[in-house]
Amino acid sequence: MTDQRTGTVLVVDDDPTNRLLLRRGLEREGLQVETAVDGVEALDRLAAPGIDLVLLDLLMPRLDGHEVLARMRADARLRHVPVIVVSGADDTAEAVRCIELGAEDFLPKPFDPVLLRARIGASLSRKWLRDVEQDYLQQVGLVLRAAGEVEAGTFEPTTLDAVAGRDDALGGLARTFQTMAREVRARERRLEQQVGALRIEIDQARTARQVAEITETDYFADLQRKAASLRGGGHIRTEGP
Amino acid sequence: MSRIVSIHSFRGGTGKSNTTANVAAILAAQGRRVGVVDTDILSPGIHVLFGLDQDAVGNSLNTYLWGQCTMPEAAYEVTPPGVGGGGRVWLVPSSVAPQDIARVMHDGYDVGRLGDGFRALVDALDLDVLILDTHPGLNEETLLAIAMSDALAIVLRPDHQDYEGTQVTVTVARKLAVPTMVLVVNKTPAVFDEDEVRERVEKAYECRVATVVPHSDELMALSSAGLFAVGFPDHPVTDRYRALAADLMS
Repeated sequence: MTDQRTGTVLVVDDDPTNRLLLRRGLEREGLQVETAVDGVEALDRLAAPGIDLVLLDLLMPRLDGHEVLARMRADARLRHVPVIVVSGADDTAEAVRCIELGAEDFLPKPFDPVLLRARIGASLSRKWLRDVEQDYLQQVGLVLRAAGEVEAGTFEPTTLDAVAGRDDALGGLARTFQTMAREVRARERRLEQQVGALRIEIDQARTARQVAEITETDYFADLQRKAASLRGGGHIRTEGP
Repeated sequence: MSRIVSIHSFRGGTGKSNTTANVAAILAAQGRRVGVVDTDILSPGIHVLFGLDQDAVGNSLNTYLWGQCTMPEAAYEVTPPGVGGGGRVWLVPSSVAPQDIARVMHDGYDVGRLGDGFRALVDALDLDVLILDTHPGLNEETLLAIAMSDALAIVLRPDHQDYEGTQVTVTVARKLAVPTMVLVVNKTPAVFDEDEVRERVEKAYECRVATVVPHSDELMALSSAGLFAVGFPDHPVTDRYRALAADLMS
């Protein structure tokens, strides 16, 4: 996610002069700029992430701007990338058509640099807010999923590390959740360990055999007889082996 | 009236000698005259806990058993520093010399002499209590020690390898009608619930647990420096040994 009002703009125009002018202007504003010479190249570039805004010409060879708009709208991953159409066609009907196809704004050529700057700034701000919201919702989803995993006994605290790194309330919630889950897990392990170690199962038959081997001897019988006297403090010698 | 107390465990490694030494030190600190005999002739070790240098030892339990001295002549005073009020500790060590241990294994000895020696020691040193640190298992000298004892503490760890042997010892000791018999659950992992441990062990053996001693790395490190009960008289673990000592004397 980029910062508010900065980002990478894809300039799509078959006219090299227009591409150059736009690139220079946008770079002066502190934006990253990539370019595409037509719709096909634009969609190729958009297939990979990283583009925050598209400045789109309409009349281009191979694939025109309308088709690019239509395909972006049909693609769930691209639907929310803002597009500003920069076109030589200066009529309201064209502007309406482009906006209906999903364009965020329409700017006739030759464009007014001040107006373009303002519209790019506004688009990027909206994109940024939306990214923040999407990110938040996605991380809320992680916490909700974690709650289900805790119930199912499959929760792994590290899956919330990304959310726990946030410095807001959601991050605090995730950290508390991780701590509690770890404590519960540790308590369960201690209990399992204790229950296992304290399951005192004695083989009575084997024990009885061992006892018999010791006690069914003359030596032991003699000791048994003399034990009381021995404890009484008498100097009574027991019989040696 | 003097008492004879045996501290035993069916298996080695339970901390039996450590328990013996700490109980002896506590009883001495209470002003008692305490004798300790290392009857673990095949693997002696308690002298280390009392800081007795075996190189300086002439007579030992071995030389007594071979008729070369009396048992009191094999006793060395090992009263820990700081023990006052008339309390003293004497130790009859077993020899650590390999040839002596080999001779015991090869030739054996007259177990009957042990009993006489214990009595002679009690009389000569005017002991309040004689503590016998026994050899693991239940050989003849251990059976004799138990038969002569007024009280027996059986040390076990909360571990499966100790459970069955403890049952054998408890059963045999009952047949010898030892007046006081208690269990010491030693080296208990700190995460265990002590009351739970006590309850389960008492139920399994139908025998009272005198104390549950926790195990921790900290305790091991502190113990290696010497007698724990002497170095750390206010530590909760020393209280456990104190409770055991009181039990064995009651």
